Amino acid sequence: MSLHDESNILVVDDVNSMRTQIKALLIGFGFRNVDTVANGEEAKAALTSKAYHLVLADWHMEPTNGMELLKFVRAEPSLKPIAFLMITAESTKERVIEAIKSGVDDYLVKPLTRAQIETKVYTILLKKRTPA
Amino acid sequence: MSTPAKIKEFIQELSGFASTAESVLTAIEADMEGQKHQFSVFSEKMFAIRGTAQQLNLEEIAKIAGLGEEIAIKGTTAQSRSQIRKCVGSLWDALTTVKYLLEHTGEETNEERGILINRLESTLRAFGGARPTVTADEIEQLLKQRG
Repeated sequence: MSLHDESNILVVDDVNSMRTQIKALLIGFGFRNVDTVANGEEAKAALTSKAYHLVLADWHMEPTNGMELLKFVRAEPSLKPIAFLMITAESTKERVIEAIKSGVDDYLVKPLTRAQIETKVYTILLKKRTPA
Repeated sequence: MSTPAKIKEFIQELSGFASTAESVLTAIEADMEGQKHQFSVFSEKMFAIRGTAQQLNLEEIAKIAGLGEEIAIKGTTAQSRSQIRKCVGSLWDALTTVKYLLEHTGEETNEERGILINRLESTLRAFGGARPTVTADEIEQLLKQRG
């Protein structure tokens, strides 16, 4: 099965415009299974009801922000292997370091280009597919 | 980006954030010391506007919202009533302009808005400047350093 078929991707962002754009990009790359939710709380529910391979999450959301969601994923043994890409306008050094220390796989600062998302998503998914 | 209708929908969403920010600022203005914690809510709304505006290539809105975001952060720790008042005044200017620009997207930058941006930058500097940020390259380096 191809990466496009086998990868379940969850986009988490409280801004509808961003969810729509990111989902459209992923579908455009060929991914077939892309779900969206509006906050970390909805993401937790989604993650515990379906097997996802990649989460693309914004930082600032309520209830449960992207950092809290990342920590939840990394603390839960069954979810820990899921790749986590933070996509946010948050670029303060302190916050970026916090995300890295908390186990984010990669970090993209808005504004995003199509090429950036494409590169990051494929790199992360391929890396997870072939563990070192 | 997609169709003009979609862009219009996105702009409406940003306008909703601006309305929330306006309510918050009104509350702070009415009770400066008691409500100053709400600067963080204002900052969050400016953050949301900035991020999406950046993505939509609405650069002027993103710039002003970004300055509003940082000044509001300063407001949360402002020690005196005069500092809070200064923040509130600057944030009204920023918010009013953001709202105007959301209703008039595509309008050319004018001298008045240039002056406003300079004034907001000057206010932010007076409060100690924006929080340090990192570039995409620096983030790459930080990720690599993690090993």
